[in-house]
Amino acid sequence: MKFIVSIKMVPDVYAPFQIKDGELLMDGDRTVLNAYDASAVEEALVLTEKHGGDVEVVCIGSAKASETIRKALAMGAAKGYHIQTNGDETYDSSSYAQILASFLSDKEYDILSFGKQSQDTDSGLTGGMVAQLLNLPYATNAVGLEIEDNKLVVKRQGDSGQEMIELPTPCLVTCSNDMNEPRIPNLKGIMASKRKPVESLSVSDLGVDATALEAVSKVTSYEPVPARAAGKKFEGEPEEIAREVAQLLDTEANVL
Amino acid sequence: MSTLLTYVAISDGKIKRSSLEVLSHCKSIADAGGMACEAVIIDENATSYTDDVQKYGASKIYTVEGDAFKQHQNGSLLKALTKVNEVAQPSLIAFASTEGTKDVLGALAAQLKAGVVADVSSFNFDGTKVTAQRPMMAAKIMGNVNVTGNPVLVSVRSGSYDLKENPATAEVVSVDVTVESGDLRATLREIISATGDTIDLNEAEAIVAAGRGVKDEEAKALISELASVLNAGIGASRALTESGVYDPSLQIGQTGKVVSPQLYIAVGISGAIQHTAGMANSKVIVAINKDADAPIFEIADYGIVGDLYKILPTFIEEIKKIKN
Repeated sequence: MKFIVSIKMVPDVYAPFQIKDGELLMDGDRTVLNAYDASAVEEALVLTEKHGGDVEVVCIGSAKASETIRKALAMGAAKGYHIQTNGDETYDSSSYAQILASFLSDKEYDILSFGKQSQDTDSGLTGGMVAQLLNLPYATNAVGLEIEDNKLVVKRQGDSGQEMIELPTPCLVTCSNDMNEPRIPNLKGIMASKRKPVESLSVSDLGVDATALEAVSKVTSYEPVPARAAGKKFEGEPEEIAREVAQLLDTEANVL
Repeated sequence: MSTLLTYVAISDGKIKRSSLEVLSHCKSIADAGGMACEAVIIDENATSYTDDVQKYGASKIYTVEGDAFKQHQNGSLLKALTKVNEVAQPSLIAFASTEGTKDVLGALAAQLKAGVVADVSSFNFDGTKVTAQRPMMAAKIMGNVNVTGNPVLVSVRSGSYDLKENPATAEVVSVDVTVESGDLRATLREIISATGDTIDLNEAEAIVAAGRGVKDEEAKALISELASVLNAGIGASRALTESGVYDPSLQIGQTGKVVSPQLYIAVGISGAIQHTAGMANSKVIVAINKDADAPIFEIADYGIVGDLYKILPTFIEEIKKIKN
């Protein structure tokens, strides 16, 4: 099975940030491989180790995204594609999806794998958009993957249970980070990653119409989430405080 | 005249309350801006829900029925929504942000060449443009977003709006959609419903959530008893769903479900950002934890510092007394 995994460089959501006049100020150096994408890479590696095949990754991003690609290669992916941007474009999910669909249109693959969302925006739209643009069968929010008779069997977390879905190849899947713990690259993997091929290309190489990439969904400003004030804290004799809070839920909070 | 169309989701034979929250909000926007408020139900028995849906102000309800809509499958839902969009020609389609919605929203936007914004906590619509707020960066930041398109698709986090009845007599329009195997391509083998008849977390008025502090059967039994006394759903932190103590469908947090019930009781949960991103919008938060410095206390309205084995039995007894 040949996997192509779409990965994204995202700001480290645990890094400190400031909001000034509606703008988000973060340390641009603190970026990571999106955690959901790392799970997608991990699962592709596990399945190809078991059933044969190989894993390639594609990443749209600025020059700095080459570090993100190296990380995936150090985990074990065989090849990277870097679709270079200036880093100041205002792309939305649809822009990314169109670039990826155009890139993938002449590639050979059995399974396209995505993280189910990116950690910074949590939109979760790009995977489904690419599936539609390429007219592929797909499943989202996978918590487990298996390969059976050249088919991909997806365990998907749905609203009221886990759905077992069988997809013919080629197909697309988006992965939850619940399916595995992505491996930490070891020294051998890191050394090997430096010799692995990374093909660099630009958005214009792909022949995508730049006006079609114009974001229709634009973040106009940021603001802090109103902090939730801490309420009352009860310490002391367990039975007493348990009774007291139960009473307050009834008389004060009115939620019983 | 612009039309706002709300997709009313049905799950396990019930209307998703979160869909009706969205419909209630769309009705307010429509009334304020002189627009039409309509709804669509896609289910094997879609027509049987129209009486309940018209209570929330939809002037027209599109129904799509058939065996193909018995269970969630993205291929059939996409085909039905595409057809209904053609018939209704709405300026905006609004959804509750359920797993079913998340499964089709991106593909539908690509299919309809629509503008889209997912998982908003509030939105407004002026007939052409949606302005919305959505939590970003693990719910630490609120982003103000503008979206244009024809139509614009919006999905809304559950609990963002209150239910508001606004009885209308709706015209019911049945839309024929035939789903063939070529439309599906994917095969749904089975649905493993480990949760049985427990309460859907997105719909629950109260939730009792268990974290790392819930270590054994005795603690689990206390959680179940508290939930049953409160008629609450049971949720869990990622630590407990990963270790298999609770079913993965019960996970609350950035990765799992995002919930906002009236009452959220966090038992033995430290309150890491990954967890609080999924529950910080609950109306009243109670935390029970023996570590007085646990971050969960920073957002709890009522923080009980103590051993859950000692706190819960009395807490349960007292609530029982109050309820009687």
